[in-house]
Amino acid sequence: MNNDVLLEARRRWTIYNLPFGALRDCYAQPLPRARQEYRDTDYVALDFETTGLYPVKDQILSFGWVPIDGNRIRLDGAQHRMIKVDQAISAESAVIHQITDDQAARGEPLKEVLTDFLRVLGGRVLVAHHARIERGFLAAACRDFFGDEPLVRVVDTEALARRSLERRQQAYRPSDLRLHALAQSYNLPQMTAHNALSDALNTAQVFLAQIAYLDTGKSLRLQDLLT
Amino acid sequence: MDIELIEIRDFLASHPPFDALPEETLTALPKSLTVRYLRRGSSFPPEDESTPALYILRRGAIELRERGGDLIGKLAEGDTAPSACNDRRVQRNIIGTVSEDSLIYLLPCELLGRLRAEHSDFAAHFDQSVSERLRNAIDLVKERGNLSSTSLMTVRVRDLIGEHLVSTTPDTSIEQAARIMSEARCSSLVIMEDHQLRGLLTVRDLRDRCLAAGLSPQRPVSEIMTQRLHTTTADTLGFQTLITMSRLNVHHLPVLRDGQVVGVISTSDLVRFQSANAVYLVGDIHKAEDLKTLVVTAQKISELQIHLVASGATGDQVGQAITAVTDAINQRLLELAERELGPPPMPYCWMVGGSQARREQSVHSDQDNALLLAEAPTPEQDRYFQSLATLVTNGLNDCGFVHCPGDVMASNSKWRQPLAAWRHYFSDWIERPQPQALLNASVFFDLRALHDPEHLFSTLQREVLRKTSENRIFIAHMAANAIKHRPPLGFFRNFVLIRGGDHDQTFDLKLRGTVPIIDMARVHALSAGIPDVNSLERLQMVAGSAALSRDGAANLIDALEFIGTLRVRHQANQLRAGVDADNFLSPDSLSALERGHMKDAFTLIASLQETLGQRYQAGRFA
Repeated sequence: MNNDVLLEARRRWTIYNLPFGALRDCYAQPLPRARQEYRDTDYVALDFETTGLYPVKDQILSFGWVPIDGNRIRLDGAQHRMIKVDQAISAESAVIHQITDDQAARGEPLKEVLTDFLRVLGGRVLVAHHARIERGFLAAACRDFFGDEPLVRVVDTEALARRSLERRQQAYRPSDLRLHALAQSYNLPQMTAHNALSDALNTAQVFLAQIAYLDTGKSLRLQDLLT
Repeated sequence: MDIELIEIRDFLASHPPFDALPEETLTALPKSLTVRYLRRGSSFPPEDESTPALYILRRGAIELRERGGDLIGKLAEGDTAPSACNDRRVQRNIIGTVSEDSLIYLLPCELLGRLRAEHSDFAAHFDQSVSERLRNAIDLVKERGNLSSTSLMTVRVRDLIGEHLVSTTPDTSIEQAARIMSEARCSSLVIMEDHQLRGLLTVRDLRDRCLAAGLSPQRPVSEIMTQRLHTTTADTLGFQTLITMSRLNVHHLPVLRDGQVVGVISTSDLVRFQSANAVYLVGDIHKAEDLKTLVVTAQKISELQIHLVASGATGDQVGQAITAVTDAINQRLLELAERELGPPPMPYCWMVGGSQARREQSVHSDQDNALLLAEAPTPEQDRYFQSLATLVTNGLNDCGFVHCPGDVMASNSKWRQPLAAWRHYFSDWIERPQPQALLNASVFFDLRALHDPEHLFSTLQREVLRKTSENRIFIAHMAANAIKHRPPLGFFRNFVLIRGGDHDQTFDLKLRGTVPIIDMARVHALSAGIPDVNSLERLQMVAGSAALSRDGAANLIDALEFIGTLRVRHQANQLRAGVDADNFLSPDSLSALERGHMKDAFTLIASLQETLGQRYQAGRFA
């Protein structure tokens, strides 16, 4: 789905069928074109903490995002938002995310946070590590609240890493593709606090490193990065 | 709910100058930053960055060069680049290369300006040079604990005595003398004749020798004054004078400046400055009747170091105090040995070398000493000195000043020689300097007479200094030795740490910190023919000479004080924890601020080593 013409047609078609609201506003922003230079493109790195891996039955517990303009991370736009969840959080997932029922109860309604995020996402490329999860949960939540999925271009830092290793015909273990392993290999500091924002920031930093390595001084287009 | 970027805040909080910002400001700061990643080999500042900003290096390393090509700085984690916000021209003249993949935070100039306007401590960082920052750090170190009585460690006798010398002539009547003392409200009176010191009259003399003895107050003071006098000088440190008084069991000492009497110092002048128990230790040492008592007293030296450090003493002050105690033990051992062996068959001078000579000892210094004999000894005479030296060196060893590993001790016949032989040794070292031999002999270029009733030492010293100051090739070799030990600062301004072994992940504060400065001070002093052996005094003496600028000397003095103080403090911590003191410091045990100052100090040392190398090495083969 990386064809600029087809995607633009779909955007224009869908926008007329969407009710007014955050998703429609998001659709109203033109998508970054695949052929444009990566450094003229704006991105937003996103990470979720969820109760599990399945968008159908699991819930989003928190959002962390940080905007990237070209090759600069803009910390002034960094956000960490907790979601109010009604279902009890299983003990196992509480251990992983260290988000307890109490904290979750103090969170905001998912719709509010989603609305704010869609406002940031409009016109930007979504960056995530192992993006399938973020993409799946985002689509499910948007369908629930706004009746459709967001139309979005995605860069998956994990896929970028796999591609560059395969291109160099280098043997690797699955663990080499983990966010922390990548951060280490690029000489990046680890944001150790385990929450959605620090992981979004780790993702954004790995992304900066990846594009710094891909940028050979010749033209590097968004389409070279897209999943 | 918006949570702060805690890790970025914590990172900033642990690096100067951000550590000077209040909590609230720090917490808000990360939100104003942008983040960039620069690959190894790319240029710095990045060409695609148009808005000026302060660059803070979060990860990686950057080399900065002047347009001409000279390396002017290396940035490591936590460093900020010379700010483009200050002066765009500066920025244009500096070109950098990213030497390790780097993550960089950019702080907008506009915000930097606001922070500088609002927080003076923060602003000071940008206004000061490296050496200014170091100097402020030393003041801070000194301030810590200055409330107690460190003053006696720093104060000179001249600052303890009054401005006016109260004196009279020997023919004054006792009654008249008492009236003078009463009017001047002083407890002692200097008796002068033709500008010469004739004696000293104290309240005790009036009591014991006049009133109690029923002597007429109309008699001249010359009949009751003390005539055989010890003196001190205006430049002597307060605590050293107190040690002398305690040893001699007197309460007043005339003070000389340039040979002229300028006043009297009394124990009561010193009492309010009463400091550490170095004074009492020395008193005990001079009363000790046997080695066993000395050994017990010597065990209190570590306590002394702990006490001094706790009261805020600097490395120099601790060195002076501990050396004073070592000197006292050494002297007492000589007295006890002479008592045991009988009077010496000829005059001799007991010389001390190394840290004892320099008055820079700390706990666990080893001993270096030698004997200068008045003439070539007969085998029987040499047997006497052999026994004397063995008694003293073994005694010192028992007291914790272990035998010199290189056997540079008076008990070694090689180092027990008459003047002619010493003359020959020194000529050999100076005229035919072999690097290895020089290294061994360097202990003899810090030499001090500890016991020398016949003043044998000054002849030797004068000759040695004349030779060293005239011989450029010798100085070049010494200079080469002096720059051998580099500060433990790597190419990227990271600390170079010892890997593996007992001292894993530490660096040697002595070998890599104080020794390079001490070595440089020695080269300068020998080159200038200056007799002082204490490193601070040497540096003060050569400051402003052709070889070492006033600034250069001041920087070395500051660096020595800073590192030396950290060293004695590190050792005091170990002693308090009940472990043996050493010189191996882990950078982790320093605060971020101290780490910054340590780097500053090392940077100064390295740059002055370069200067020294260039200056003296150039003529090496000329």
